[in-house]
Amino acid sequence: MAEISFPLPDLGEGLIEATVLEWLVSEGQQVERNQPLVEVETSKSAVELPSPQAGKVVRTFGRPGDRINVGEPLIVFEVPDDTAGIVGTVPKDEAPKRRVRLSAVLDED
Amino acid sequence: MSNAIVESGATVRHGAEEGGPGENGREQLSMQQALNRALDEVLAESPKTLVFGEDCGRLGGVFRITDGLQAKYGETRVFDTPLAESGILGMAVGLAMAGFQPIPEVQFDGFAYPAINQIVCQIGRMNYRSRGTLPMPITLRVPSFGGIRAPEHHGESLEALFAHVPGLKVVSPSNPHEAYHLLKYAATRPDPVIFMEPKSRYWQKDGVDVSHGGSPTGAKVMRPGRHLTLVAWGAMVGRCLQVADLAAEDGVDVEVLDLRWLKPIDAETLATSVRKTRRAVVVHEAPLTSGLGAEVAQLITQGCFDTLKAPVERVTGFDVPYPSGDLEDEYIPNIDRILNGIQRVLEYRRG
Repeated sequence: MAEISFPLPDLGEGLIEATVLEWLVSEGQQVERNQPLVEVETSKSAVELPSPQAGKVVRTFGRPGDRINVGEPLIVFEVPDDTAGIVGTVPKDEAPKRRVRLSAVLDED
Repeated sequence: MSNAIVESGATVRHGAEEGGPGENGREQLSMQQALNRALDEVLAESPKTLVFGEDCGRLGGVFRITDGLQAKYGETRVFDTPLAESGILGMAVGLAMAGFQPIPEVQFDGFAYPAINQIVCQIGRMNYRSRGTLPMPITLRVPSFGGIRAPEHHGESLEALFAHVPGLKVVSPSNPHEAYHLLKYAATRPDPVIFMEPKSRYWQKDGVDVSHGGSPTGAKVMRPGRHLTLVAWGAMVGRCLQVADLAAEDGVDVEVLDLRWLKPIDAETLATSVRKTRRAVVVHEAPLTSGLGAEVAQLITQGCFDTLKAPVERVTGFDVPYPSGDLEDEYIPNIDRILNGIQRVLEYRRG
């Protein structure tokens, strides 16, 4: 298994921090991509952050009322090694399929 | 061999066998884990080794090959670079001049193109140009070939391009065991090595014997056979082993030769295999024209002309840009295309 950390992104033009209002997921919970993770408040608005990926929540950072700077860790996911890549998919190891048959007289001259 | 090569291609050393942690037996590791461990050990053994590239540091690499290494060895030895491949390789040249052993990464093979000038004009010939005073002990890791349904530039097959450059060595592992030992060997060479990792094989687990790697140079018979030799490298070795199993159902005993080193090519092992089987098919993902299969076919012809039963057959990608994900299955040699290639060789009759 691999751990992937997701830092607090810039939630608006040049915002530097956000305040945690409420965590919508808890440590140990399996989350899906786009599932709301946390409600945070910036100097512009309160927003729900969707999960950037599927995975098991290992750690969350900040309790309600705590401030987190942009770029600091917000949440850590645990994902299987074979889905830890970012681009492309992991090929499935399937039983080989064939249509072509070989026919040959293997004369040993 | 060109003057640019510090170490002769014929030299066989067993250095990679000495560096293991001394465990016996085979461990089940994925190629990603095997490469990660090899880098970890190389970093631990040589303080002059540096690992860097896009997302190699904090993230641990998009394929997680450098996972955990920055935390263990610090930001001065394992670090992120800007998105500028010419800069990554140019920095590798300067670091090599200053006595370091750089292990840079280009994140995907298609991103190597912006660094071709540094690879060809500097890394490949600095030792030659400096009359041996500035060797380039650089190991360039290139996640290579297709098979993961990635977008354009994320799947290429550049071995012929690199193999054509005097001064470079090129190697591609086919399984986790080879990956571990070949990377440890490549990383400690005095010459630049292009290390082509088959990205479609990163995640499958297989046995790795860390203490017994076998010879780290030359080609390797992965399956012995009597009737025909399939020559392949990287991800195509696994596919050829599947084909060999299927051919056995039809009574055809196929030998699978993993070329491993694509520069220099082990012509002797190639000829030994085909002198025995008298028939050969070479398989690669790269386009046919001027692909490395032509070089392999010529080396076989030269070594086995008097006993060959048929011209060497090539089963390859097509002469088109490497397609994006949806068309990959049509482009990469599949089991039936390889079996057809074998059948053409089996059917060939002189005169």
